[in-house]
Amino acid sequence: MFRLFKKDLTLFLHDRRSVILTFILPVILITLFAFAYGSIGSYDGRSEPVELLVADLDQTSSSREIIQKIDLLEDITVVASDSAEAKKSVISGDYVCAMIIYKGFQDSLKYGSSIQVELVYDRSREMEVGILQQNLTGTLMSSAGVIIVNSSIEKYMLEHFPDLEKSTRDDIIRTATGDDNRRLSVKWTSIVGERNDTKLGLIQAVAGTAILMLLFSVAGVGTSILEEKENGTIKRLLYSPLKGSTILYSKMLFAFFISILQLTTMFIFAWLVLNMDMSVSIPGLCLMIIATSFAVSSLGIFLAAVARTRQQAQNLSTIIILVMSAIGGSMIPMFIMPAVLQKIALVSVNYWGIQGFYDLFWRALPLKEILPRILILTGTGLVMTIASIRLFMKRIKNL
Amino acid sequence: MPDSLKMISVRSVYKTFGNIEAVKNVSFSIGKGEVFGILGPNGAGKSTIVNILNTLVRPDSGDVIIDGVNIRNDGETIKLIMGVVPQEIALYEELSAYENLLFWGGLYNIPKAELRAKAIEILGFVDLVNRKDDRIKTFSGGMKRRINIACSLLHNPRILVLDEPTVGVDPQNRNHIFEVIERLNSEGMTIIYTTHYMEEAERFCDRIAIIDSGQIVAQGTLDELRHISGINDSGTSGTNLESVYLKLTGKELRD
Repeated sequence: MFRLFKKDLTLFLHDRRSVILTFILPVILITLFAFAYGSIGSYDGRSEPVELLVADLDQTSSSREIIQKIDLLEDITVVASDSAEAKKSVISGDYVCAMIIYKGFQDSLKYGSSIQVELVYDRSREMEVGILQQNLTGTLMSSAGVIIVNSSIEKYMLEHFPDLEKSTRDDIIRTATGDDNRRLSVKWTSIVGERNDTKLGLIQAVAGTAILMLLFSVAGVGTSILEEKENGTIKRLLYSPLKGSTILYSKMLFAFFISILQLTTMFIFAWLVLNMDMSVSIPGLCLMIIATSFAVSSLGIFLAAVARTRQQAQNLSTIIILVMSAIGGSMIPMFIMPAVLQKIALVSVNYWGIQGFYDLFWRALPLKEILPRILILTGTGLVMTIASIRLFMKRIKNL
Repeated sequence: MPDSLKMISVRSVYKTFGNIEAVKNVSFSIGKGEVFGILGPNGAGKSTIVNILNTLVRPDSGDVIIDGVNIRNDGETIKLIMGVVPQEIALYEELSAYENLLFWGGLYNIPKAELRAKAIEILGFVDLVNRKDDRIKTFSGGMKRRINIACSLLHNPRILVLDEPTVGVDPQNRNHIFEVIERLNSEGMTIIYTTHYMEEAERFCDRIAIIDSGQIVAQGTLDELRHISGINDSGTSGTNLESVYLKLTGKELRD
């Protein structure tokens, strides 16, 4: 097997075009995308409501009233939580934002001091944060403003006009209340990506482009099996004492090796040239590179296994890679995509790879937290490897 | 032919692919040191027979004994006994001639030093030692064919199977290939030569099997074939085999 692997490596190194496609082109694209993503994040609307975690530590009629009003908003769905869990969920990327209503919220409204509400959010998901900011700020301010004005007027009336009828007093309050929230402000706190110096756009550029280019490189390795079949070298290999399975495993090993090498090169380039902050979990990064390489290389081999000719494999690979990269977040960041596409993205290897790298570089999550993504990538790789072996072994007999 | 003189014995072999009967009741024997030609048009079943002999394709029924080894029992030994020159130029174009030889020879676990020496020796044998470090992609079609043969000789096979080795080769290079084959045979190697060129079959082959639609129509020396077909014309040899073929199959070989 090592001999076949070495032969593939020698052929690869002899083929300048392959080397350029594998290493130089991704480096150029990463650099270009890094510049391009420097100004991303324009809000353009979406149909699905954004889920907002709410931790009500005040537990008063005022806090409940505000939560109820927020829940009635079309674009926001309230999910009850506690303070620590809410922050953790935002950091891990499960939710975009959490609203924490601190104890003393109602009193702060009554006494006109700064209101005890904090919104913690993940600024990598700019579009969802945009929706929340637009809707939430307005609702929160108007609701809180009304409560403040109500209580102030009521207090004044009771002190100075104690004999006034309640209905008259209510009329006066209703007339007086408006959207007077000029004195109010809510604290918005970004709690994700603050520890790390890497810019969000750079992570997107490196992870997205690296996986996209990786898919193309590996598809090339996959189609080389069909090329070898067409020019007779596979048959000649089968004339030798080698087993058919050895030929396939050596190709898989080579595709896996090239994937690891390419991804590692991309991250080293991003670190040295683009100043990507590498103070992340190194075991996590290594495992993510290995798992992503395994999933991607298995996909490349699988595409070659499905196709019957090299031309077919090339066409199939191009279509699948472009579609997967488009929906998986390689070309456009996930948060810009409509909610329905974000759900479809789950079937894409790109999605799991990119999100895993986001977890590492943006959310600074430890290895334990990114293990599910690593397992999904590994599982995907295993399924495709098994399917490829079955298909190839069936076809190799018909050479 | 007594068993002690037989190198290959094929008995009542059948092979079908789906609904296609690729090989039907094929039987023949090849003696040690003999050049045996399998003559037939494209799609007649020549390559399937080659693949059966090399254990790449398993026959549906029948027996194949090579140098006393049944292919069903010990495929690995068969692969060591036999060298196969495929119809395609099955080489890595980006590697040099020498690198190709080292790679293909390496698959037979030949010790490195021995393999290197053998590769140089064989490059000399096919008259390409001066081009050893040039990439295959810079070679002419005929030179590639010679390297194609050379790659199958590194493990010192006792039997060499050549599957249409001169397709697309110019006359000068064809002569080079003929010389290589004749030298190998003179050294005692058993050779199976599949072709659809009459003159090649006549030039080398001690005995010829004419195959059509998966069946051996006739086999024997050229004289025996003439006798079987009822043609006793003693004109030019090329015309003779062509006439024999036409008589036996009812069609031109180019069909």
